[in-house]
Amino acid sequence: MKMLIILAWRNLWRKKRRTFITISSVMFAAFLAIALMSMMDGMRDQMVSSIISSTTGYIQIQDALYHDEPILDHTMELTDEISDLVSQFSDRIAFTVPRINGFCLGSKDMGSRGVYVTGILPEKEEKMNALSSRVTEGRMFSAEDDYAVIAAGLARQLDLALGDTLVLLGQGFQGATAAGTYQVGGIIEFLMPEQNNTMVYLPLKEAQLFFGAPDRLNSLIIMVDSESDTEGLAADLANRLDPEWHAVKTWEELLPDQVAAFEARDAQVRLMAWILYVVVGFGILGTIITMMHERLREFGILLSIGLKRTQLAMICMLETIMISFLGVLAGIGLGFMATSWFKHHPIQLEGAFAEVFIELNVEPIYKFSNAPDIFIYQGTTIFIIALVVGIYPIRKILRLDMINAARK
Amino acid sequence: MKTVIKTTNLSKVYKDSVVPVHALKNVNLEFSQGEFTAIVGPSGSGKTTFLNIIGGLDKPTDGHVIIDGVDIATMKESQLFDFRLRHIGFVFQAYNLIPVLTALENVSFIMLLQKQSKQEMEKRARAMLEQVGLGDKINERPGRLSGGQQQRVAVARALASKPDFVLADEPTANLDTESAFNLLDIMARLNKEENITLIFSTHDQRVIERARRVITLVDGAVDKDEYFERA
Repeated sequence: MKMLIILAWRNLWRKKRRTFITISSVMFAAFLAIALMSMMDGMRDQMVSSIISSTTGYIQIQDALYHDEPILDHTMELTDEISDLVSQFSDRIAFTVPRINGFCLGSKDMGSRGVYVTGILPEKEEKMNALSSRVTEGRMFSAEDDYAVIAAGLARQLDLALGDTLVLLGQGFQGATAAGTYQVGGIIEFLMPEQNNTMVYLPLKEAQLFFGAPDRLNSLIIMVDSESDTEGLAADLANRLDPEWHAVKTWEELLPDQVAAFEARDAQVRLMAWILYVVVGFGILGTIITMMHERLREFGILLSIGLKRTQLAMICMLETIMISFLGVLAGIGLGFMATSWFKHHPIQLEGAFAEVFIELNVEPIYKFSNAPDIFIYQGTTIFIIALVVGIYPIRKILRLDMINAARK
Repeated sequence: MKTVIKTTNLSKVYKDSVVPVHALKNVNLEFSQGEFTAIVGPSGSGKTTFLNIIGGLDKPTDGHVIIDGVDIATMKESQLFDFRLRHIGFVFQAYNLIPVLTALENVSFIMLLQKQSKQEMEKRARAMLEQVGLGDKINERPGRLSGGQQQRVAVARALASKPDFVLADEPTANLDTESAFNLLDIMARLNKEENITLIFSTHDQRVIERARRVITLVDGAVDKDEYFERA
């Protein structure tokens, strides 16, 4: 075996330039595939993290009927059973965020707009999405305050300024009328117009009073310690709760449109990656065919003097493995350096591209991911492609007419 | 003397072309241990086909090739690979050394395939290279050796594994006179010293003049089989 490895290695360097070109082509393919996947995963992580923190969280515990009919009548009480359950999984739960929310009419003087009132515990929201950092005027309330923080777009539409009174009118729990007046104590700027023109934040207790639903929540948001544990934790929580009363939903169940959008984009990127794989596959195949045909006579001789076909096939396979391994290794090295750099120095987007991100409520930057699975997956895929390509010389050798080959 | 190779009614017909080509016709020959034989004849007379068949590289259409009591014409390919490796040495017209291996590695190569011990293999390879006058070139790759030197390495390779016989297909065809004589001297000496059976196919008068037996093939059949006394 040692001699076969030596032969394969030395054969590789008989035509140094060709070997370098082939290794380079594998390297660039691996690098581009890694960069592509790193960018896609980085952007996906960024979007998921942004969407999760600003909307649903990773997991929600809800009333069993709320998901199908999200009305205040389907809110739930934060019972001891739920609190105990959360405590039992404290090693997997980073923190919980209680919320109550509903649509109302917000008015000032003669102007009125549809608004989305959300009752929050500010210190929990702070942990989840650093909400107070978006406050541009005034300040975020504390849990004991009784004023409102409203979105900047809404403030402009209703001509509301700090200290003005916002009148809220809507439907509360079990048909009660929800009505209240709140002083504007802070104005908050959102990038996403939908949020910027509708959001009204109240301290949780004030919002529960407003909706006539004391101690009730639309959902208890659960932020997990590890994103990869989302499915597992949701299943474990669901197993411990009575499905007649409570439902446990992951962010993917709560945001199916987002998931579908991610999947569509992932499919596009995968298609691009496969085009790359095909290109590199043919690149390697071209070199292998050339190397084969240049050495047919030599193969015939080696077989004549006693080398077995399987041993000769092994030499050719080893050559393919070595070329691919070197190319993949170099591609991974280059990819790791590039993705690490762009992970810590993300590309700032500008213009229309940036606006798309802003509309999705995502910071307009391209942040790369350098998760190990990207390198393992891409490296392995290209390596496997090379091995598949390596079947060609094996087939050829197994069918080689030794005498004719030796005469060439 | 012990018979090393015996062919009985050996025939080979190539049916690839429109008209079948009878490359060998009922060839009956015996080769004894230690013989130095030249197979001569015009181009297309069947010399190379005969060597290929007794070397186990090709199969006869009809007839038998008995080597060491075994009919190799009936062997499967995998058995033939092993048989060639253990019993036959080859020297080709175009040297056919492995370009990426040094002279020492080339000579060791067959012994390595035979799974001989490293120590024994290296000792034998060095000794063979010394015998062919290339003791100072053991670490050179073929590209850095002259044609004559490469062919001497090929001879050392063929003999190093102590085969029952060596088949040489026009080994001097690409060599200048001095190199050819040098090679023939070496082969004649090794033939005597190691008692190895040498069978050449050749057009080269220099080889024919050294051979103690000359078989002439014409149109695939044995035309003459002559023995000579040589010094």
